[in-house]
Amino acid sequence: MKAQASYYVILFKSVSYALKAEKILKAEKLPHKLIPVPKQISSDCGVCLRFEPAFQDDIKAALTSKVEIEEIRRLIH
Amino acid sequence: MSEIKIVNATGLACPQPVVLAKQAIEASEHVRVIVDNDTALENVKRMGTKLGCDVKTEKKNDGTFEIDLKRKAGAIVSKDDFDPSCSTTTLSGPFVIVCSEDKMGRGNDELGAVLIRAFMHTIAGQAEKPDVMIFYNTGVKLALQESEVLDDLKELAAEGVEMLVCGTCLNYFEVKDRLGVGVVSNMYDIVGTMSKAGRLINP
Repeated sequence: MKAQASYYVILFKSVSYALKAEKILKAEKLPHKLIPVPKQISSDCGVCLRFEPAFQDDIKAALTSKVEIEEIRRLIH
Repeated sequence: MSEIKIVNATGLACPQPVVLAKQAIEASEHVRVIVDNDTALENVKRMGTKLGCDVKTEKKNDGTFEIDLKRKAGAIVSKDDFDPSCSTTTLSGPFVIVCSEDKMGRGNDELGAVLIRAFMHTIAGQAEKPDVMIFYNTGVKLALQESEVLDDLKELAAEGVEMLVCGTCLNYFEVKDRLGVGVVSNMYDIVGTMSKAGRLINP
């Protein structure tokens, strides 16, 4: 179920930005999952939002100018 | 001198594998023990380490394990300093996760709700899965259909993790009809499982 798919993650400067972004994505019904920041990206105990490539444009559009995004990274399994 | 003594301990019940392995390493410098279960594997490894051997293990395709025991230069294998008891300290009972709240940790509820989601995602992704997960008090909310962690819990359940959800709690919150994963359980099963646990964690 997992691992076969490639995912993107959105990284934020703080947990509160991640939560704010999540509220927006929920309201827009854009599929995503809040996960711990993968270890290969950072060893900090942070959270980020994971999504499937298909939703990239919609998610970017929904968040632009509403939440400050630090980075969007592709996850390689 | 460099000959390897093979001990086939498959099909033998504890403490036989450890006893045979110990006799062999007392007589030979290099012994290869073949076992077919985790308990024997752990016990033979522990015996080897305790007797001052280099211990290497290899898992075979047929489900058996080969344990190579090699006496270190100068190591004295004493005949009576190891008790081949059937101790299974590493596997003495189920690995249990108890969710007594729908949050991880105490202090800030918003943060705790974030942390429990990250926790469940990580548990579902790691190799060592719990045997049983228990949900009570507000922890039962994690197992409801609208739960943010339902997909992770379903994935764990599909991999054989038993999920016990407190019936009294579901009843108290009036959410029994919205249970999304696990079985409605009772205090007897919950206390019984917790009492037998080899490891118990409470996020």
